[in-house]
Amino acid sequence: MPNYKSDTNGSGKALSTFVAFAFFVLSVVALFLPDSSQDEVASLLRGSVLRPFILTQETLVRRSIHAEDTEVLQERLDSLQMVIVNSSTLLEENARLRRLLGLSERNPDEYVAATVIRAGMPGSESMFLLDVGSDQGVTRDSPVITDQGGLLGVVRRAGATSATGWDWTHPQFRASAMTEDGSVAGMVRATPGGFGEGYRLLLNGVPFQQKLEPGVALVTSGLGVYPRGIPIGVVIEELDAQEGWTRSYLVRPVVSPGQATHVLVVVSEEGDSFDANLRSEDGWLVPEAAASEEPAQDIADTEARTPR
Amino acid sequence: MKTPPRVWGVVGLLILLHFGLHVSLGLGEGAPDLVVVALLIGAREVDIGRAAGLGFILGLLEDAFSVLAFGASTFALTLVGMGGARTRDLFVGDSLFFLMSYLVLGKWARDLLHWVAVGEGLREPFVDTMLIQSPISAVYAGVIGLVVIAISGLGWETVR
Repeated sequence: MPNYKSDTNGSGKALSTFVAFAFFVLSVVALFLPDSSQDEVASLLRGSVLRPFILTQETLVRRSIHAEDTEVLQERLDSLQMVIVNSSTLLEENARLRRLLGLSERNPDEYVAATVIRAGMPGSESMFLLDVGSDQGVTRDSPVITDQGGLLGVVRRAGATSATGWDWTHPQFRASAMTEDGSVAGMVRATPGGFGEGYRLLLNGVPFQQKLEPGVALVTSGLGVYPRGIPIGVVIEELDAQEGWTRSYLVRPVVSPGQATHVLVVVSEEGDSFDANLRSEDGWLVPEAAASEEPAQDIADTEARTPR
Repeated sequence: MKTPPRVWGVVGLLILLHFGLHVSLGLGEGAPDLVVVALLIGAREVDIGRAAGLGFILGLLEDAFSVLAFGASTFALTLVGMGGARTRDLFVGDSLFFLMSYLVLGKWARDLLHWVAVGEGLREPFVDTMLIQSPISAVYAGVIGLVVIAISGLGWETVR
């Protein structure tokens, strides 16, 4: 082994140290960049240097979906047929009742099928990429549900042909939830499980006089960005810790984010920011509110602060 | 001393393999952190400024997939690159023990810096992350690093 000799002289070493310090400062600057700038840098890198790696995963995921067992697909098809047959009577009844009450037809939701891509990098645990974008009508705050019908998350940035989103494990994820009959409502957010356990959901803000039993199913209430009725999870147990006159419950989510490969993105025809609160029979009620910086969080926070 | 091109070939290959395993195949923690191994090997061959630059670029590429803490990997890898280059002035070793310690401690330091940079609201408990999960992944990366060095024929004397 040759003896080690320093290959930098005095001035060269000083310059090198200065360059290293400059990169250190830049790395600190990157930490404190505004969210929008961070998004832009990340999108630029994902769309250029890292694009081949993302395309490879897209191709592999698509192939694995196509290779799915035909028997499983047939079972799903049969189940859907049953649902359609059973719901035809309800649809007719619903339309008749709407006519009697003088209500106009409800705008049906539109969906775009997408493939989920996940990067196994530190810090990317709550993030997913979609192979659809604004060209397909996807916008910021478009809800994302799995092909099994459970709530996965929400789109946070939509490019022309791709989008990035958060799943429900993101610390800032909030969704307004209710029981299937709508009798009890609250707000769900992610909460870490114990060591070796995955994330779970926490339902809080349930009025003290209302009690939920384990096994009760929770769905989205329609407040905020998520349309009403998307399955969220099942109540496991009530937590001992109570906040004021409210109860909190641990919820087992219906969707395991890591297993979601094929999803449906709920899109709005207008192409505006999605907000179920603002939807009416005639379109969007308050478009300027939908254009706020953090619409999902604004609405979630508003509900969380509302005294019950 | 001029660095053999083979070293940079191995460094480049490790970086491609890292993103191939983590992004293309989506293996996550099942795949070793080859970016740190590549950085630690490369940092011993260049001065502190270039090592910091290499760490900065690799960190930025990793952060392109981070929504929870953008910049945390950039910060961590920049400092690890600087530390790796600095070890040339402090330690000269060619033993298996030295290389293993260098790779394991480098990976553990990367995780520690990332944990610090992520911020209080997002970081997981110190004991779970830094005393249980991180040492395991550090040893994993260290073993893979040694295998890569041995297979690629760099030789212990090449990675100074």
